[in-house]
Amino acid sequence: MNIFSEIYGTYFRIAAKLLEKEVTDDKTVRDTVQREGFRDSVLFLPQKLIPGDEDWGLFSRTSDGKLKRITNYPPVKVLTKLQKMWLKAKLADPRIRLFMDDDTISELEKRLGDVSPLYSREHFGFTDRFSDSDDYLSSSYIKHFRMVLEAVKKRKILYIDFVSGHGRRMGGKFVLLKLEYSPKNDKFRAYCYLLKNDRIKSSGIINIGRITNIIDTGRTFRTPVSMEEYFLSRKCSSPAVIRVTPARNGVERFMLEFASYEKHTVRDLVSGEYTVELWYDEQDETELLIRLLSFGPVIEIMGPPHLRQMAKERIQRQAELIGKYRKEN
Amino acid sequence: MAGFSELIKNFDKTRDYVRDFFIYGCKVRSDFGRKSIRTYGDEKRRAESWMSEYMRYDDSVRGRSVSISVDSGHISENPLYNAYYSRSFTDNDIRLHFLITDVLHDGQKRTLKDITDLLNTDYGQLFDEQTVRNKLKEYTDEGIIISEKQGKTLYYSLSQDDAECYFNDLAGFDEAMQFFSETQHFGIIGNSILKMLGRKNELFFIKHNYIIHTLEDILLPELLAAMDEKRYVSFRTFSAKRRNEGDVLGTENQVVPMKILVSVQTGRRYLAAYIPGLNRFTAFRLDYMKTAKKGSVYEDYDSLKAKFDRNMSRCFGVSFGMRRETGTVTPMKIVFFADEKKEPYIIERLEREKRCCTLERTGENLYTLTADVFDPNELMHWAKTFIGRIVRIEGGADSVRERFCSDIARMNRMYGGDENEHIQ
Repeated sequence: MNIFSEIYGTYFRIAAKLLEKEVTDDKTVRDTVQREGFRDSVLFLPQKLIPGDEDWGLFSRTSDGKLKRITNYPPVKVLTKLQKMWLKAKLADPRIRLFMDDDTISELEKRLGDVSPLYSREHFGFTDRFSDSDDYLSSSYIKHFRMVLEAVKKRKILYIDFVSGHGRRMGGKFVLLKLEYSPKNDKFRAYCYLLKNDRIKSSGIINIGRITNIIDTGRTFRTPVSMEEYFLSRKCSSPAVIRVTPARNGVERFMLEFASYEKHTVRDLVSGEYTVELWYDEQDETELLIRLLSFGPVIEIMGPPHLRQMAKERIQRQAELIGKYRKEN
Repeated sequence: MAGFSELIKNFDKTRDYVRDFFIYGCKVRSDFGRKSIRTYGDEKRRAESWMSEYMRYDDSVRGRSVSISVDSGHISENPLYNAYYSRSFTDNDIRLHFLITDVLHDGQKRTLKDITDLLNTDYGQLFDEQTVRNKLKEYTDEGIIISEKQGKTLYYSLSQDDAECYFNDLAGFDEAMQFFSETQHFGIIGNSILKMLGRKNELFFIKHNYIIHTLEDILLPELLAAMDEKRYVSFRTFSAKRRNEGDVLGTENQVVPMKILVSVQTGRRYLAAYIPGLNRFTAFRLDYMKTAKKGSVYEDYDSLKAKFDRNMSRCFGVSFGMRRETGTVTPMKIVFFADEKKEPYIIERLEREKRCCTLERTGENLYTLTADVFDPNELMHWAKTFIGRIVRIEGGADSVRERFCSDIARMNRMYGGDENEHIQ
């Protein structure tokens, strides 16, 4: 019982898809492999499916040149024991209540029967997760979450009151695009556009935990919305440019910690230093800055100028604080 | 490249290469000195095939470097899951998969002989009973087939757990799958459920998303089983440096596993474990680990676990170590400045990020964090996120305080303070 098994594999999945219909043809096989497979699958897989010297014998050629499956029924799609064990483990995750009510959870529990959970929450510990996570058991949180989720699915326009990160009360009509979860914050947020006169005024993000009231306007937003445009509207105009030195295992630590960013890296052969361009959401600039500062002199922020300037000001302030403390002692 | 296959048998080897492409971003062929040109070429081609839209190529005097550049907060599916979907198999594996499940599709219970005969008569496929028996046993273990003994004969039938029914019958199941398929733990398993039914995540993005963790999930079932069964576990560790030096053996470890520790900020996951030979707890990085195998039962597991839990309350991160080496016993105290009127969010940050430390107001706009932790070094990496606000540091180890002050002095020069170290 292992997730690294061919029964979950891409080739099995493509074969299952093609076996759903009694009759298919060579073009459908190739198109399906092209669409569902890896980049090079089309070089290896069609000849295994289409009758010939190398095929698996899952299809036979009909008199009119089509492909007929040798099976009688469409392939079964049963949950494996591993998948059920994983589902059982999720039953103990409080976040499942955001999606299902008590009756549905009981029904799921019943279906999974005496399957053991794949893991328990006690097996894992988060060392540096923030402590003010969202309250997944709060009934108002659950209500707001479900309304937001429904609005994301149906592009509903909602009127939302919420408290901003700086404590200001805000409100307005929003179209909600997607939900975001952060394991670091253990919080959900919604990507949104603020609407004025039914037109997009600005892009934003609303913390579900900060919502105080939601009203469904009963209307949907019909203008097509592209996530790429949304992300682009929030992206920095020029990337952070960071010089990373090999001291204190800096390269490995930096590359791993910032692995989640879109980046471009160049290595200096003589010094062993790396120059990394990092793209980030402008709203997260302070978070990026403090994370960069935590690497100390192992890295240096080379640009853009305003980011370097912010680092410089904080460091100078810190140097002054140390100097003052030393004078006093 | 004759003989190339998209599919793989050895997950560990691929895991190494994908990790290096993903993490470092500018490695060329010669950096992978440990393997032949053929191996490098094959692994590169596989990674390209699985993750073509995220591959990036840069030409330099050293050659063409290959990397995987993903803004993992803006993707709806972890592309590294593809590594799991690439397991190689035999022609018989795939034939038997579709034929046996087709034979049992009507819900009837059948014997091995019945099934083998039907494969021959109805499908024209000749298999010996042993081959079919092995596949039935394997699929019984996987939970796809149910076996039941009647008298001395084993009967086989198909599991009735139709995945589609879960989605159709349980309100919210679909959305829950979309979410859990991209989050810890074992999101890959949720993704396999969605993929089986041609579904996908269209609702959620994951911020601070370390997609590389999925490659380590291959180790977890064995480690978790060892914990549950209170057993030793043995594995080999390979640091990045040693791997690049061509060390194929690594270091053998035998430990008593306690917990999987996840850092959501540094991108690392660890196995926290007890090393009997050294009589101490330590944390092993999962990305440096291979071939975990559970061993014999550790008799005194419960009391060891209780001791571990006590020790964890004094870990700021994952290190149990420094005090033992320095003999330091004084808790560390860091005084932070935060303007209470204008910067309440700084005080909120201190509260939510202080972990096992305590925080108290010790003056106007002054907040003191007391850290009675094993390794003050771990604390200082975090404390540096407050650069510009640290008024005083006391206690802990002298070396840690001195390093902080010298780091600030170096940074001040680097960024054009008293003495300009780099920028002209």
